Amino acid sequence: MGIHWYLVVSALIFCIGAGGVLTRRNPLVILLCLELMLNAANLALVAFARAHGDMGGQIFALLVMVVAACEVAVGLGLVVAIYRRRLPIDVDDLRELQG
Amino acid sequence: MTLHLTILVFFPAVCGLLAAFNPRWVGLIAAFVPLAYAVAMVADFDVAGGLQFVTDDKWIPALGIRYKLGVDGLSLWLVLLTTVIAFASMLWLAVRQPSDRPGLFTFHLLLGETAVLGAFVAQDLALFVLFFDLMLVPFYFLVGQWGGENRIPAALKMVIYTLVGSLLMLAGAVATAVLTASNSGHDLSFVLSDLVANPLPAGTQKWIFFTFALAFLIKMPSFPFHGWMPDAYRTMPLPALAFFSGVVSKVAAYGFLRLVLPLFPAAVESFHTWFLVLAVISILYGSVQAFTQTNARLILGYSSVAQLGFITLGIFAIDAAAQGAQGALLQAINHGLVVAPLFFVIALLAERAEGSEDIRDYGGIAFRAPVLTVLFLITALATLAMPGSANFAGEFLILLGTFSSVQAIAFVAALGVILASVYALRFYFRSMHYRVGAQVQSFELSLRDGLVLVPLVLAILAFALYPQLALQSGEEAVKTTVQAVSR
Amino acid sequence: MSLTTYAWLVLAFPLAGAVLIGLTFRALPSRVHGWLGTLAILLSFLSALGMLNALDGRQVTSVAWDYANTLGVDAQVSILIDPLSVLMCLVVAGVSTLIHLYSVAYMGGDRGYTRFFALLNFFVFSMLLLVLAGNFLLVIVGWAFVAAASTFLISFWYRRATATAAGLKAFIVQVIGDVGLVLGAFFVFKGTGTLDFLKAFNAVDHSFTVNQPELVAACILLLVGAFAKSAQVPLHTWLPDAMEGPTPVSALIHAATMVTAGVYLIARLHPLFEHAPDAAAVGAIIGCVTLLIAATIGLVVTDLKRVIAYSTMSQIGYMIMAVSSAAYAAGMFHLMTHAFFKALLFMAAGSVISAMGGVQDLNKMGGFRKAMPFTFGCMVIGGLALSGIPPFSGFFSKDEILSLEFERGGWHAILGVAGYLGAFLTAIYTFRMIFRAFMGPMSPEASELAHGHLYHAPEPTNPATGEVEDTDVGFPGPEHHIAERAAPMKVAMGALALLAIVGGFLQVPGVSSELHHFLEPTFHDSTYYASLEPSTSSEWIGLVIGAVIGLSGIGVAWTIWGKGGTAAVYQARLGALHKFFVNKWYFDEAFDVLLVRPAAWLGRFASTTFERLFVNGLLVGGSSGLVRALSAAVRGVQSGYLRYYAALLLIGLTGLSAYFLISA
Repeated sequence: MGIHWYLVVSALIFCIGAGGVLTRRNPLVILLCLELMLNAANLALVAFARAHGDMGGQIFALLVMVVAACEVAVGLGLVVAIYRRRLPIDVDDLRELQG
Repeated sequence: MTLHLTILVFFPAVCGLLAAFNPRWVGLIAAFVPLAYAVAMVADFDVAGGLQFVTDDKWIPALGIRYKLGVDGLSLWLVLLTTVIAFASMLWLAVRQPSDRPGLFTFHLLLGETAVLGAFVAQDLALFVLFFDLMLVPFYFLVGQWGGENRIPAALKMVIYTLVGSLLMLAGAVATAVLTASNSGHDLSFVLSDLVANPLPAGTQKWIFFTFALAFLIKMPSFPFHGWMPDAYRTMPLPALAFFSGVVSKVAAYGFLRLVLPLFPAAVESFHTWFLVLAVISILYGSVQAFTQTNARLILGYSSVAQLGFITLGIFAIDAAAQGAQGALLQAINHGLVVAPLFFVIALLAERAEGSEDIRDYGGIAFRAPVLTVLFLITALATLAMPGSANFAGEFLILLGTFSSVQAIAFVAALGVILASVYALRFYFRSMHYRVGAQVQSFELSLRDGLVLVPLVLAILAFALYPQLALQSGEEAVKTTVQAVSR
Repeated sequence: MSLTTYAWLVLAFPLAGAVLIGLTFRALPSRVHGWLGTLAILLSFLSALGMLNALDGRQVTSVAWDYANTLGVDAQVSILIDPLSVLMCLVVAGVSTLIHLYSVAYMGGDRGYTRFFALLNFFVFSMLLLVLAGNFLLVIVGWAFVAAASTFLISFWYRRATATAAGLKAFIVQVIGDVGLVLGAFFVFKGTGTLDFLKAFNAVDHSFTVNQPELVAACILLLVGAFAKSAQVPLHTWLPDAMEGPTPVSALIHAATMVTAGVYLIARLHPLFEHAPDAAAVGAIIGCVTLLIAATIGLVVTDLKRVIAYSTMSQIGYMIMAVSSAAYAAGMFHLMTHAFFKALLFMAAGSVISAMGGVQDLNKMGGFRKAMPFTFGCMVIGGLALSGIPPFSGFFSKDEILSLEFERGGWHAILGVAGYLGAFLTAIYTFRMIFRAFMGPMSPEASELAHGHLYHAPEPTNPATGEVEDTDVGFPGPEHHIAERAAPMKVAMGALALLAIVGGFLQVPGVSSELHHFLEPTFHDSTYYASLEPSTSSEWIGLVIGAVIGLSGIGVAWTIWGKGGTAAVYQARLGALHKFFVNKWYFDEAFDVLLVRPAAWLGRFASTTFERLFVNGLLVGGSSGLVRALSAAVRGVQSGYLRYYAALLLIGLTGLSAYFLISA
């Protein structure tokens, strides 16, 4: 079995994730979708590593997981902070960065 | 190779970092050390020695930028002036701390001093541009955070105006270095002495000349680039304004002498009549404005436009004997020394008129305040360049230089001398003479304010008696600078 | 002590006096300051006598230090001591001493007593600096210092609006003069390459040809300086207004010393003027015009001090005419005698004004003859000297000028004739003033004084505007002093009266020519000084004519004002002319229309229209508009929607990968 199917799956998951990030307004869901995108990338990395017989890709995937964990920790912290300040849990309403 | 200038330049800013702990004393110490240094330097200066106290070290070798500092006859007295005015401002601040974040205020002012001193001693084009732009930063904050009414638009206007000039100058500086390198076949170098040694072809000089000229004319400010001045002057806190008007504008005049004349002699040669005309318009326009304004700060602001017009006039006189430029250099020092105490006087007048800075609200302040009156009078007379003041010696040389260069322009510029007496005396009389104004409560100068004003006025008097002191140290440098053009 | 030491001491004493008085204004009682100031000037006068003693007909330059000695400019603090400057020093310091003495009493009670003496001492220093200056730069410095001192003495009562306005006017006119001097000095410097007087005089012959345009321009510009200082047409309008100052100031500055500086300058720079006869002619003609214009205005002015002020203008016209026509000794002679009798007249006028409680209007005066015999006597002596009646000093000095004009011949004779006409008018207006103030029915103030009580206004008012005033600092003090009751005033006036009588004997045709000989070393290089010597007989003819004219002038004044009555008849008959004179030939109005209003309009235009449209509209509006448009574009991208940013990121990423894929 070639590498193609892995990549197709990876691309699909990535697109699902990206679509979610772009369309959903709940920060929690957005975080989940981000996870999807990251894992899509992980899948691609592992697949390539396997195909090339190079363990570097797998190490990279592990690294991405660590970063993702950190990101989720920070992201969830933010969500909790927003919730605590009784702000709407809706990213479209949180637009103070508007120029 | 000495460390002296490095210490001189960076001491204020570095020491200023500690200002959060005790703004009063840190400010005083941070401004006093450079003052002592500058005095020692003037005492130690060898009149025939050319560039002195040189520091020359590599900084960014890839771009040919060196960390080269030095003092010569052009910058010596301006350095002293900067430290004197900065110390006076700090003394003033020590008495009248701003209520809001005094430490930060002090730091910004000290950073300004570092930038100005750096610009005066920089002997590398890139270094000069760096310090020149650095000057803008503290004053942006000083206007934007501690200013009076309408401070935000004023700060923005000032920044945009000067930034336009600065960016053009940056481009000009890069172009100068790159084109000089490719022209002469040497390595890329921003060091001034290298650039002067290999002048650019006349055609190239002309367009680069304009980038520099524009930056300096805006900074001065000169007519018609003074649009930022009224707003900035109206809102800037007075101790900062005293320093700003007294010293920062001189960097522009100095820039003409240090960079423009030596680097672009051919361009100066071909455009100098135009700049003389511009300077004369500046003189007349500033003077006429100064005697119609009623806001005391603006009277001084526009009078500075006129005075800097005189300085520009002297620089671009390019007479064979270099008398004009010599006068301009002297006048740059004088104007700084005179305008700074006048801004302090405005603060004192405002305190006696319920905070008003409109001269229509003044009147009769001389009543019960004889000492303040005498101090104000001496500075006012010096501003109008009364013969006997060093300002007169400066204007005399400027006009003499212009006279031997383009006679008609000297005649028109002489009108500016008459107008100066009108606005300066009007300001003085309106404040001190006439009946006591409705909201005026006059009282004598306090000892602590006297501590700031009296030494400055004594310096004006001393300089009036013996301007030769500054003239003789500048003589050689001015002559070489100007004769590079008229050669 | 050597000559130069004396000369520097002449300068040092008044300056030290001014500084000392200024520094001790709180420490010492104000009375002391008056005496201190007088002492300083007296010492200066004694040093001037020392100079006279040590001079020995030399011309000596003494350099103190370099002032602006750079790049070919040889400006030093140097003084030139020669007979001319010594004479001026003697006159200035001498008259100043007496006027200080007078002021000690006259200004008593004024709250600005200390300031007055500090300024007066500073003035004397400035005047002496002007006189002793050995180069163009220093003479300009003295020139301006004198103007500043005069300005602040004119507006001495600084809370009076009229006084401040007069001071401002005086200063601005003086600055015009300064600029004239500066530009004139430039021309001379360009030609001769030096600012030093003696060097420039030596170089002038081979640096310039006779009447070379540059030199004529230089001399005319120098004349502008002289005219501004000496109140010559058209730069004279400040002098009558300057009468706002205290009377001793008018006596010292606006009669005896400062206003004669222009005469001194022309005499000092005579090598230049003789080399540029065209410019000298301008000076002579303007002097002549001024003496006539001022005399006509003097005929109709009703302010006591202004009559004397116009008379001063007129007499200085004589002097300017004289020195411009190379009659140097005569001009300086008249300068000296004029200093005596004019200071005396002002002092007497001050005494009268005090008796009037500060009022200066001749219409309100009358009959002071009995109540103030001493003042009357002084006024008459001064008046006779001014009118040129033998044997008073003005008789000899004025007629010497006129006979020299005739001796020069050519068109100068016209000037001489005009001078006699002026002398006639002088006698009329002088005695008009005396008759109106001292003769006729007694005014209430005069009769009050005759009964032994000095009039004091119940409520002090400004005589010019009628405004009610304070008597605190910045206004005239509550007390008034008249010569009859104040010994210092009496001594000062007595001494000047004596000088006004005997001063003329220095130069009596055929008998003595002390001054002429004394000044010889200064004018040794003059073409005319030795040769221009009218015969004794023709001089005596001139003297007789002068005496007759003076006496007939007094006779005319007596018929019109002395006997009383006919003044109104003449006024009605010559209505238009009277109005023209009363309005001072409309000089003030002309300046207002020609200079003041256009300047004010230009200022308003600049600050409103131009600033708004061009500077703020075009330059600021243009550049800030550009910045605003750019920032609007950038700001549009910053929507704040998270997905918007994410989408941008994604598009960018896709674009980038697409680019790499295609290029690979």
